[in-house]
Amino acid sequence: MSDLAQLQGAFQAYITQHDPAMLEHVVSTPAATAEQRLEIYAEAYRLRLLETLETDFPGLHGLLGDVQFEQLGRAYIDACASQHASIRWYGGRLSDFLRDRSPYREQPALAELARFEWAQGEVFDAADATPMGIAALQGIAAQDWAELSVQVHPSTRLLNLSWNVPVVWQALDADEAPPPLSAAERPVAWLMWRRELRPHWRSLQPDEAWALQQALAGGSFGVICEGLQTWLEVEQIPLRAAGFIKQWVSDELVVELRLSSKAAS
Amino acid sequence: MQRGSAKPERKQRVNEHFLGFGLGLRPDHHQTVVDQRPPVDWFEILSENYMVAGGKPLHFLDRIRADYPMVMHGVSLSIGSTQALDRNYLHDLRALAVRVQPRWISDHLCFTGVQRQNLHDLLPMPYTEEAIAHVADRVAQVQDYLGQQILLENVSSYVTYRDSALTEWEFLTQVADRADCLILLDINNIFVSSRNHAFDPMEYLLGIPIRRVRQFHLAGHTYQGEIAVDTHDQPVLDEVWNLFAEAVRRFGAVSTMIERDDNIPELPELLAELDTARRIAEPLLAGGARE
Repeated sequence: MSDLAQLQGAFQAYITQHDPAMLEHVVSTPAATAEQRLEIYAEAYRLRLLETLETDFPGLHGLLGDVQFEQLGRAYIDACASQHASIRWYGGRLSDFLRDRSPYREQPALAELARFEWAQGEVFDAADATPMGIAALQGIAAQDWAELSVQVHPSTRLLNLSWNVPVVWQALDADEAPPPLSAAERPVAWLMWRRELRPHWRSLQPDEAWALQQALAGGSFGVICEGLQTWLEVEQIPLRAAGFIKQWVSDELVVELRLSSKAAS
Repeated sequence: MQRGSAKPERKQRVNEHFLGFGLGLRPDHHQTVVDQRPPVDWFEILSENYMVAGGKPLHFLDRIRADYPMVMHGVSLSIGSTQALDRNYLHDLRALAVRVQPRWISDHLCFTGVQRQNLHDLLPMPYTEEAIAHVADRVAQVQDYLGQQILLENVSSYVTYRDSALTEWEFLTQVADRADCLILLDINNIFVSSRNHAFDPMEYLLGIPIRRVRQFHLAGHTYQGEIAVDTHDQPVLDEVWNLFAEAVRRFGAVSTMIERDDNIPELPELLAELDTARRIAEPLLAGGARE
C-alpha cells in the first residue's frame, strides 16, 4: 500500500472509529494537539450526517425529541457508512435499521414512520412525466377499454402501513400534538405520488389498492376488472373500475393510457 | 430595489471569464430567485443537489438557468482519493453539465473517503510529490472525460501531516501546473488555514500563479478554541474582506461569489454581502489591477 493510501485509510479509520493509528501522522502544536485537530473532523462527520437525517426525517425527529433522535442518529452513523456520492441518499437504510435493531425494533411504528418519510423524499425528486388530462378519456373507444394499460407517474409509490404514521406525521408537521401511535387491524395501503411538485398521499380501499398494484405491474384494464370480483358483484365492477381510472387521471397520477397490444409490440 | 449590479457603469469586463459577482444557489432561495430575479450576475450550483431524476430541484434549476449564467461546483469528486474514480458519479456530472451548460465545473483539492465510503467531508491532502503525481493523473482523466478543464478549490484544514514536504500553495500550484487545470481560490479557506497553521496568507496569495485563478469564494467561519473552523454559516468576517482586497489587487477581475451553506439567511442579506464585495473590488479593478 502506498504512503498516500495508508494515510487516507488511517484518517478515515480515525473519523469513523477513532482508530488512534492516525495520531502519529499529525503534528501537534501549542494551539491544539493532534487529537484535538483530528477530533474536529470526527465530530464534523457525525454532525453533518445527523443534520441530513434531521432534514430527511423531521417526523421521526419530532416524535423522538432531540436527545433520542441524536442517539438514534449516532448509532446509525456508527453502523452504516455512506456509500453514495450524494449525501441525499444517506438515510435510505434508516427504516431497516429501526426495524432490525434493538431497542428500536420493539417499537415497529418507528420503522414505518421512517419508511413513510423516506418515500416522501423519493416522490419529491423522482423522474418527471406530464400527466394526461381528463379530456383524453372521452376519446377512448368502448371496445378498447379491456386492453388498456395504465402508465402511472414515475413518482408513484404504494406503501402498506400497519400504523397510523401518516396521521401522526401530519400533526407533527403542523406543530400539533400527534395522536397516539396505534396499529390498524390489518395493514392499510397508502398511495404516494407527486402533484404540482409536491408529495401527496391518500389511503386506499383494498380493491383500489389491488387495482393500482395491477396497473403498476402493467396489468390491463380487463385483467383489473376480472380481479375485482374478489370484492364486488360483477355488475358493480365497470362503474367502480371506471371510477378508479377517473380518479387517478384527475389526481394527475396517469401519464398515458396505452393499448396493451401496442405496448407489447 | 436598486442594487450594485444594476448601476449603469457596472464593472469592467476585463476578461472573458469574469462573470462578475455571484451567489451559491440554495434551495431556500429558489422561489425568490424565480419571482424576483435579483441582481446577481451569476449563480454557482452544488452539482450533487441536482443529480436527481426530476421534481422541484430540476424544475427550478432550468428556470433559473434560463435567466442567469451558472457554474457547477461539486463536493464528491474526491480527486485526491487513492480509491478509483467513481465512474457513475462522473457520468452523472457530465449529464448535468449537458443540461446546465455551465461556464465551468469545479470541485476540491481533497479526498472524501476510501474503501468505497464517502465521509462527505473535504479532507486535506499531504503536500508530497506522490500526492501531486496522483492528483495530476486523475485530473487529466476527469478533464478528458468532461472535455474541459476543471477548477480545483483549496480546502480549509485543521491538521498538518508529518509527511508534508511543501507548503499548501506550492502543492496547489504544482498540481495545477502538472495537471493543467484551473484554480478556484477560496479566500476564507486561505484565511482559516493560515490561522490554523500559522502561515502568512499574503505569502499564499503571492505563491499562486495569476493565470490559473478563475474564481473566488467568500464565506464565513467560526472558532473552536484556538482553531478556526470553516463553517460557512456566518457572514464574511472583516479579516477575510481585507484578504479579498489583496486578492483582487493581485489577481484582478476574478468571478467572485458568497458561499453560504448553513444558517442560510433571507436573500437580501446575501445580496447586501455581495454588494460589499463589489464595493471592495470595483474601485481596485477600475484602478487597473491585472491585465
